[in-house]
Amino acid sequence: MKKITSFFGLVFAALNCLGQDLPLSGVLIPGEEWKVVAEGYGFTDAACADAEGNFYFSDVSKGQSIFKIDNQGKISDFVRNAPKISGLKFGADGKLYACQNGAKKVVSFEIPSGQMRVLAENVDPNDLVVTRKGYIYFTETSKKQVTLITPGGEVKAADTGIGKPNGIALSPDETTLAVSDYGGTNVWVMRIETDGSLKFKEPYMTARTAPGKSDASLDGMTTDTVGRYYVTTSLGVQIFDPTGRISGIILRPQNKSMVSAVFSGPGLHYLYVACGDKIYRRKTQAQGWVVTESQ
Amino acid sequence: MRNITTGILRSVAICALAWGFGEANLFSQTNGRPNPAARPKTNDLYQLGPDSQYQREIPHGQVIKGRWSSTVYPGTQRDYWVYIPAQYKPEEEACLMVFQDGSSYQSTNASFRATIVYDNLIAKKELPITVVVFVNPGETPAAEPGKKGRSNRSYEYDSLGGEYTHFLVDEFLPAVLKDYKISKDPKKRGIGGISSGGICAFTVAWERPEEFGKVITQVGSFTNIRGGNAYPFLIRRSEKKPIKIFMQDGLADLNNLHGNWPLAAQEMDAALKFAKYEHQLVLGDGGHNGIHGGAILPESLKWLWSDVKP
Repeated sequence: MKKITSFFGLVFAALNCLGQDLPLSGVLIPGEEWKVVAEGYGFTDAACADAEGNFYFSDVSKGQSIFKIDNQGKISDFVRNAPKISGLKFGADGKLYACQNGAKKVVSFEIPSGQMRVLAENVDPNDLVVTRKGYIYFTETSKKQVTLITPGGEVKAADTGIGKPNGIALSPDETTLAVSDYGGTNVWVMRIETDGSLKFKEPYMTARTAPGKSDASLDGMTTDTVGRYYVTTSLGVQIFDPTGRISGIILRPQNKSMVSAVFSGPGLHYLYVACGDKIYRRKTQAQGWVVTESQ
Repeated sequence: MRNITTGILRSVAICALAWGFGEANLFSQTNGRPNPAARPKTNDLYQLGPDSQYQREIPHGQVIKGRWSSTVYPGTQRDYWVYIPAQYKPEEEACLMVFQDGSSYQSTNASFRATIVYDNLIAKKELPITVVVFVNPGETPAAEPGKKGRSNRSYEYDSLGGEYTHFLVDEFLPAVLKDYKISKDPKKRGIGGISSGGICAFTVAWERPEEFGKVITQVGSFTNIRGGNAYPFLIRRSEKKPIKIFMQDGLADLNNLHGNWPLAAQEMDAALKFAKYEHQLVLGDGGHNGIHGGAILPESLKWLWSDVKP
């Protein structure tokens, strides 16, 4: 079996080298469209999943809670008294990490107690990721900065200079950090060093723009187990393969700002998006990747 | 699983047959569609000729392997090989050829076998004395040992503009060629590649025609991976650049979300013709691989270098 697997690997590597693509048809399922799973909110954001496929989100404009949609579709208040949250991620430690954009803080919540701990104050966090080793990276769009909170609690700039750093995602092997530029067309990638610092920044992915537009409003991002990057943009969810080539664009479910996306639901096969007043999802062939303790 | 494995083994066997026991050489089918009635169903047509086979009795060049850490592409590393023909004389300027995806071109048992082809054609005085550089795309190794690096190939090769050219012309080539006497005449300097490496080669000459006056591409990706579909229109509208171009593609080449390869090749062909470039497209039946391009590599190189006296 091992031999067969490595042979497949070789074949795939050879094809990949010669320009074979990972097209949209390898992600979408014919007949599976966007479906509303939650509605009646002001401005949904912070799409987040746990390993079991429960989905979490916020209502940045008027919500007071972090909401949870379980695998039966039931919506509940997961953490109360948590307004104006623009980014959420579970850590490998089981805690829920959040960008409290309104309160200018990055915090963590113990689960299930909901006990909050402040990790960084007087910051302008937009979105975040947490590595398995416990390094937290968050975008500070207004400061043109990606900020790092080390496992020891130190808060420091990890990268500066991206115009409007917004969405942020890890490659599934956690070797690469990807950051979207809301004011441009690129997703930048950086190598994650063993001490958590970031090196070798490159505009690895280039998003398509609407005719006449110089930017693509690149926003929240997520990754799947294959290493594809899914980036919400003004044109839809733009997908890039692990070598940075575009794989296709999934159109927006409605003509409103779509600001974050994540795979969740059974098997992490459903792509969820926060788009205006609603949360939508659609079943795909892809499988989402989340940080878990066991990796 | 068993069925899939059998299927793969069967296709490998077919590939091996196609590789070794073909019949004809389609080099004569230039600038157009081969006759469909005469077209066979597989790649059986394309086989390596004697110029691609190792000949014991002739002089053989030397190949030096190296690894390059780039500053233009910070953090990337790549392998390269430099072929020095046996006939090279330090006091005489040699011609230069540079292949992207160098690993596959320098391999002596794959589709191109370029070092063997150069040994043979230089010995027969059908190609000038040429130093050949084979360079791979960059990879950013993972910081943690044991983890996979990030390929920089598409970013380097598919992007239009001058970044890769800057890397190649200003950083890499001066260093790896510093011990050799190489002609500065762009007519004596060629660049080539397959797939994304093909459009990359064209980009380098397009950006710096004073450095490279010859381009050879096999199944070149003149499609919209990162905007390369713009070239036919840039070629039509820009003042003609002094570049001679050889292109190979096949009717069974890719048709995917980035575009249609054989149509893109024909767009390039039409644009180069419109703008009066000295060029040639050989459009065969093959797919997205080096089988046809490898089989005709000796003839392709001879045509490309026909204006340089060996």
